[in-house]
Amino acid sequence: MQFVQTLNGLLEHVKKVERETIALTKDGQLQLVKFIEKNSLRLDDETLEVMQYQDIIAQQLSATIEAIENMQAHLHLFTNAFDQDAPSMQESFGEMDDKLTSVLKNAQDKHSAFGGKTQHHNFDDGVEFF
Amino acid sequence: MPLVIFVDDSETALASTRMVTDSMPITVKQYLSAVDALREIKGGMTPDLIITDMNMPVMNGFEFLQALRTVPSTARTPVLMLTTETRDELKQQGKAFGLTGWIVKPFNPAQLKQAIARVLRLA
Repeated sequence: MQFVQTLNGLLEHVKKVERETIALTKDGQLQLVKFIEKNSLRLDDETLEVMQYQDIIAQQLSATIEAIENMQAHLHLFTNAFDQDAPSMQESFGEMDDKLTSVLKNAQDKHSAFGGKTQHHNFDDGVEFF
Repeated sequence: MPLVIFVDDSETALASTRMVTDSMPITVKQYLSAVDALREIKGGMTPDLIITDMNMPVMNGFEFLQALRTVPSTARTPVLMLTTETRDELKQQGKAFGLTGWIVKPFNPAQLKQAIARVLRLA
């Protein structure tokens, strides 16, 4: 199952890049905030709104990292099942495909859910009282 | 001055709310974890308004809200959810839990200030 190992290595690389991106954008944003607060600068509303994008970027990337980890767990189960019983390969492939399809659906739902107003351009009122 | 607490696991999100509210006549306390905020509330802190994120590790926004309702001092404290989540079913769930309102990120700074002023009845 060399291809699974290669795939796993690729997924690890993607997670690493995503984690680095989260850390870099966070460090950059916090440094900017430090400068703004230290110099008592006043930002306009448009700038204050886009200053929140780092939080959304971090949530979106964290959700894809979670999806990758779920995918890796299923790949690991598949590899174990395959190693123990090669004749049942077709069944293992089917089960893995079902699990990965579920992981993808969950990840796509989170992409929509964690995007806030950036994913809903017609969303004109961001405040709702009950 | 009224005490408003913000709970969000994102430091940058807390920084954004801090920059928006620093000109308001309120005292602000910020927490990176609902568990930490709850501990201080159980220790005697009595916020006038709680604004919390939804998706947080260990204790999410709904779990925090439900815990707040079991503490006598915050059983009726207004709570606003400040989140990227826009799903109606979650909003309805929040309403059933006694949530005061729902604000979607990225928030409009003027709208956030208006929401706080409205809940606290600031002039």
